[in-house]
Amino acid sequence: MTKPKITFDGQTFEFEPGDTIMRAAERAAIDQGIPRFCYHPGLPVAGTCRMCTVEVEKAPKLMTACSTPASDGMVIHTQSERVRKSRAGVMEFLLLNHPLDCPVCDQAGECSLQDYNYEYGPSTSRFQEDKRVWVEASTKKLSDRLTLNMNRCIHCERCVRFTEDVTKTHELLMENRGWKKELMTADDLGVFNEYQGNIADICPVGAITFNDFRFKKRVWFLKPKPSLCDGCARGCSIFADEEKNVVQRYRARRNDQVNGHWICDAGRVSYHTYSDPQRVVQPLLRGLAQSAPQATTWETLITWLLREMNQAKRVLLLIGTDASSEEAANLMQILPSLTRGELVIRSWNGTGEGVQSSGDDAPVDKILRRRDQTPNTRGIEQLGLHPLAARDGDFDVALFFRSGRATLPAQKLAAFEIAWGVFNQSESARFAAVLPGLSTLEKAGSYTNCEGLVQTFEAAVKSHGHAASVKKILDGMRTMMKAHPETAEREVARDFV
Amino acid sequence: MTIIVSRKETFWDKIYLPALAIGLKVTIKQFYRTLFRGESTTIQYPEQKRIYSQRFRGEHFISVDANKTENCTSCYLCQTVCPAECITIIAEERPAEENPYGVRKEKRPARFDIDALRCCFCGFCEEACPKDAIKLSRNYEMAKLTREDTIYDLDHLKREVKGRG
Repeated sequence: MTKPKITFDGQTFEFEPGDTIMRAAERAAIDQGIPRFCYHPGLPVAGTCRMCTVEVEKAPKLMTACSTPASDGMVIHTQSERVRKSRAGVMEFLLLNHPLDCPVCDQAGECSLQDYNYEYGPSTSRFQEDKRVWVEASTKKLSDRLTLNMNRCIHCERCVRFTEDVTKTHELLMENRGWKKELMTADDLGVFNEYQGNIADICPVGAITFNDFRFKKRVWFLKPKPSLCDGCARGCSIFADEEKNVVQRYRARRNDQVNGHWICDAGRVSYHTYSDPQRVVQPLLRGLAQSAPQATTWETLITWLLREMNQAKRVLLLIGTDASSEEAANLMQILPSLTRGELVIRSWNGTGEGVQSSGDDAPVDKILRRRDQTPNTRGIEQLGLHPLAARDGDFDVALFFRSGRATLPAQKLAAFEIAWGVFNQSESARFAAVLPGLSTLEKAGSYTNCEGLVQTFEAAVKSHGHAASVKKILDGMRTMMKAHPETAEREVARDFV
Repeated sequence: MTIIVSRKETFWDKIYLPALAIGLKVTIKQFYRTLFRGESTTIQYPEQKRIYSQRFRGEHFISVDANKTENCTSCYLCQTVCPAECITIIAEERPAEENPYGVRKEKRPARFDIDALRCCFCGFCEEACPKDAIKLSRNYEMAKLTREDTIYDLDHLKREVKGRG
């Protein structure tokens, strides 16, 4: 059976039965696209903004592309004179009361209103009267995460539909009609769902802003880097927006297999873990008389570590379930050759009130969030690792590897505990040494999410300070083993005994 | 690679004295003008100052309103347009109690630093500024004793400048 066909501006494309004109146009990826304010692929169609009107041949009036079903043989004009005039009219009405505060507005640079006005709208205003100004609602807290500026609102109701259809919490509603239409919260609780950041994302103008990013950066400085959120076992696709090697925010990246268009708020702010000024980015080693590990060099630390591992009879390698599969496999392959004793390898998770394996994991709500707050529990299990059990004990040296998400085990693992990966200063006190490693943002690798989907990711930023990848550290260890273990040992003996 | 250009010297060039006299003529002329007719080319600089054009671009300042609040709303346009990358802004929300202006000035610069040693005084920043906040005064006396002093912070930039200084 042949697929139905539709013609956009003289070019014919196939579409799937059931598509609207908008979906067919997106599928065909036509050049200029169809402008939209209220339409969002993740939300039900409302047809309120009238920006997406197109000319359909044999139809008496312009049709809204978002709500008109496409049919076989339709001939559509998306850029004709009539269409452009209609869009210019819509833009003029929207801009009547829209304040000219782009310099203050955070949306400037990614604002639909700016973009479409540049393309379709009039560049001057004929409006002589005073603009409508909301005094109370000009900076109104919708919750501790969202701020509303009603003056900028264009009444597309994306936010209302988001709370109605995605989170199903119904916190937002529009009160009054026409000129006085105002976005309100349904009761004093404000917005309380766990996906509020998406509301700020889908707002086509700067009416709703996310407090964590509010006034922090102008968006034109940011470079979006596709990445994965490591906040839970879901592994949502995100854009990590960075400037000068510092990640400024996460945004949801569309991935219909995993997260659709959304990410949760906990994941959205999880980048703070990695830009924390307290994060250890310098090799640390504790001398005999010292209570906390002190900054040292990689050479000293590695020679010390090799000596300790060489002398130990039983070594524990505890791999956090937030390690990428590649890192875990590397460690499992190479570490046994660096010790003469017995090497026991176990996994560790401990997030979400004691989750240890994928069996303990469960969805927290009906949308995205999971109990397991590490990204790669399934992947580590596929490598054949089991969680640390109570009967495992009696170790001389314990290496704890993680990349920032897994919790610290409460029990003391061995006489010498060594941390490897992403730790912060306050956590480092119990360890004899800390080897700074890379976080998800700084390395490439793959995670297996809660549904068993393997997702790869690339580094979004360069590593901070002296933090190094697992491969680099293991390579260094092997080179040092081969070179001159005896002199290295003497050096360490002089410094630290 | 060096290019050697040789010039053929005549007899009068070689004896040198006529050329000296021609040069001295200019000196004597200037000497006469300065001493007897008061037509000096130089000025007594710190006491006496040259008048520059009204459009001269000198030391930066940020204009303030009647309440001494800066007009800057940290839109970062000057930082964006600056070819020397000498402007660094950190924005924050103006506390509600200090903000009689409402949305118009809800954002303010927490820090606004201009590295005057990097600045090339092109004036793009004042051209880009939508609030007419950053301006270049006509002050050209910008010598400082330390490098730290040449990084202008917000307090320095908000100093009083009448007209264009």
